[in-house]
Amino acid sequence: MRQTKTRLSAFLASCSLLATPAFAGEITVYSALEDEEIAAYLAVAQQELPDLTINVLRLSTGNLGARLIAEAANPQADVLWGFAVTNILSPAIYDLLDVHEAEGVGDLPAQFRDPENRWFAPIGYMGAFCVNTMRLEQIGAPMPQSWADLTDPAFAGEIVMPDPGSSGTGFLQISAILQGAGEEDGWQLIQDLDPNMAQYTTSGSRPCRMAQAGEFTVGASLSFVAMQGIEQGFPLEMVIPSDFAGFELEANALISGSSNEEAARRFLDWTLSESAAQVYSENKALITMPGVPRSPLAEAAGLPEDLSEVLFPMDFATSGAQRDAIIARWRDLVGR
Amino acid sequence: MTVNSSPDFAAAPRKAGKALAISPIARILYLTSLWVPLIGLALFFLYPLVLIVQRSFVQRDGMIGIANYVDVLSMRHIPGVIWNSLVMSGLTTLICVVLGFMIAYFLQRTHARLRWVISVALLLPLLAPSLVQALGLIFLFGRNGLISQATGWNLQIYGLWGLVISNSMYALPQAVMIIQASLRQSDTRQYDAAMMLGATPWQRFVDITLPNARFGLLSAAFVCFTVTITDFGNAAVIGGNYRVLATEIYAQVVGQMNFNMGAVIGILLLIPTLMAFYIEKVAAQRHTSGATEGAMPVAPDRQPLRDISLGLFSYGAALFLIAVVVTVVYASFVTLWPYRLDLTLRNYNITAQGGYAPLWTSLIVSTQAAVIGTLLLFMLVVSQRRLGRGMAKAVYLLAIVPVGVPGLVLGLAYILSFNVAGALPGLLYGTTLLIALCNFYHYHSQGFLTMVTGIRAVPPQLEETVTCIGGNSLHGLRDAILPVMLPTLVAVFFFLFMRSMVTLSAVIFLITPQLSVGAVSVLRLDQAGFATQAAAFSVCIMAVVMIALGMMKATLTFLERKPRN
Repeated sequence: MRQTKTRLSAFLASCSLLATPAFAGEITVYSALEDEEIAAYLAVAQQELPDLTINVLRLSTGNLGARLIAEAANPQADVLWGFAVTNILSPAIYDLLDVHEAEGVGDLPAQFRDPENRWFAPIGYMGAFCVNTMRLEQIGAPMPQSWADLTDPAFAGEIVMPDPGSSGTGFLQISAILQGAGEEDGWQLIQDLDPNMAQYTTSGSRPCRMAQAGEFTVGASLSFVAMQGIEQGFPLEMVIPSDFAGFELEANALISGSSNEEAARRFLDWTLSESAAQVYSENKALITMPGVPRSPLAEAAGLPEDLSEVLFPMDFATSGAQRDAIIARWRDLVGR
Repeated sequence: MTVNSSPDFAAAPRKAGKALAISPIARILYLTSLWVPLIGLALFFLYPLVLIVQRSFVQRDGMIGIANYVDVLSMRHIPGVIWNSLVMSGLTTLICVVLGFMIAYFLQRTHARLRWVISVALLLPLLAPSLVQALGLIFLFGRNGLISQATGWNLQIYGLWGLVISNSMYALPQAVMIIQASLRQSDTRQYDAAMMLGATPWQRFVDITLPNARFGLLSAAFVCFTVTITDFGNAAVIGGNYRVLATEIYAQVVGQMNFNMGAVIGILLLIPTLMAFYIEKVAAQRHTSGATEGAMPVAPDRQPLRDISLGLFSYGAALFLIAVVVTVVYASFVTLWPYRLDLTLRNYNITAQGGYAPLWTSLIVSTQAAVIGTLLLFMLVVSQRRLGRGMAKAVYLLAIVPVGVPGLVLGLAYILSFNVAGALPGLLYGTTLLIALCNFYHYHSQGFLTMVTGIRAVPPQLEETVTCIGGNSLHGLRDAILPVMLPTLVAVFFFLFMRSMVTLSAVIFLITPQLSVGAVSVLRLDQAGFATQAAAFSVCIMAVVMIALGMMKATLTFLERKPRN
């Protein structure tokens, strides 16, 4: 029996060899980063790690999370790359990760890495408003600068934001408000915003896509989503809310049971290297690594030198633990 | 043999069984054609479903129990969401069955010109990704859509009505496919007899046409209801604040990583499929279908009043479907929708991962799904006619339930089932074949119901006669069943092919870094804000499907002609 089994597995191995030549240095990476970012980073990573074949599957954080949980019995990926920290903290995902103390991880401020070294986050993104300037002119409202500005009745039915129960982006916005303004004032603000909200969408990028198409005036979304729209030439302006700009960290982690552990660890080390920092600064507004020059994107977004001025120091562990309760209360409050 | 003999259902298999006993080859053939599709259903549908059911009982504390069900049902917004789902699917079903019957009747029983326009228009919602169709609706009827811009009206497409419209576009072609199969089977002699007895056209319609189409109408209603109550894509894009159960699954699984809670809602969504019990009961009452040996198909006739009113609805629906797709095609050539409407080819330079490669993968997947699917369904439908009452019932239910499983749930169930190390099923993981099988079983019910409706046109006596006069089952198949079934087989083949090209919800969980499909590229482009590129990619998918269908149709016509020479 055992012999047949070995023979079978040898046969299977030769099959898979025929299908895709498997080198020792081949890894599968699951990533929620944007397509263009992945292309830019991989181009550099391949130069630094020429013997490594890096296969990337790109899906949204939510879809990747569901897939990781479903694949838990037999993990297919070696590395999780650019995955929202809020979701990594969910036990269903966190328990799938292995410890990896990446080279130089100690230099990252403590809030950007896991105390047990199961994840670290060299980059991230911010919550941002996408404001359609043409539609803003039509409705005759002033350019909003903060969440508080959006309670102006001039915006009635003109704002779209993601549903915190369906979208990580929506949750990061709500928890930024709650942590920034405190429980009581925070819920009050959320309630005051509700009459102006035309829709709470399922996806985190959809509000910005609706604003860029001129369907609504303001879409509460993310900084990179707004930048994509502006780059394409839509009449769009990005506003980082001056009161409660939430942010999300994009974390990297080693998945337990990786069959290419050595190569996976090398790749993870690269994501925290100097050459990675260089290419991050060309693509990212929010970089948590110390000593990285301010990116042109941050400048274009009008971000100050010291990000802590606009970014509220979010406590991901707390918001993660209270997640279900926050979402339930939110749903009762808005009733949609 | 009397013309009007209608043997009761129970007698048929016994007689057939005797005939089978004569030829061992026929028996092997029969057993194969029964058990291969059944094993397929068990492995690729029932087993994954059982794993999901199992997950729905795994509580947060890791114990087995009903806590997840209690949690879901005690959420305060859930009753409203259930009500919303029922209202939305109910309205959609009503619209699709009534309109679908009018269109099917118009296509099958009238001489009206340009009916092919309607047939082609009905293909469009099947072969265009639903995400892009919803975008097309917004491009047309949105707050900043073409119509709002031209008229200054403030249209509200988001919400219940937008959802009913987009879901009707999705379900209508499926309803027409099934109802049309039921109208093909009527016997002109019934109408002639009624006419001689002095029945008015309306009486003939109520007493002959409707009862004969009853099974088709019921099946169509079943498909429309279940397919829209489980659909997530339209709800996400155009549903606005109108929350439905399918969005709730997404929120639990994808939004909050509560995998097992999502499984619970997935199981709850299976409840409407209980209607299948009733449909099966109707199906068993064969004598009402009136398919008898020597039946002559009803020839289309002319009745100006009827034709004009039916035509109004049929062409109207077709025009609507065409308008939405034409808008998508137009948008695919536009520089920056809706701000710079100058035309360009730039959108066809696809920047998403893999460029056009995923399109060809889709083509392979769809061909596999259509070939395997049509073959297995045909085997199942032919062989289940000879089954005894109890067994037939079980087969029916199993074959109809897949429509009630949301794609998202099916995709995740496939991971749970086939992502296994070292074991044989694990070999399938990450292959086009697994994606093809997933697509086939996702649309299994529609194919099955269409074929069952179609095969009711084959009188059991005819098949028996062929077998008795010395032909084996193969002859019966070739001479009695195939000629009648051919249009239905073609319809099912094309249906499976088209849906496989564009379906997204399950497939998104089965792609790998090396293997992606066209529908995923469309999603990626839209998420990254390239709506016009997403439209362009969809146009390419539509074009490829059209060309493929054209070639298949031409081959078919060629093959049909050959034997006559």
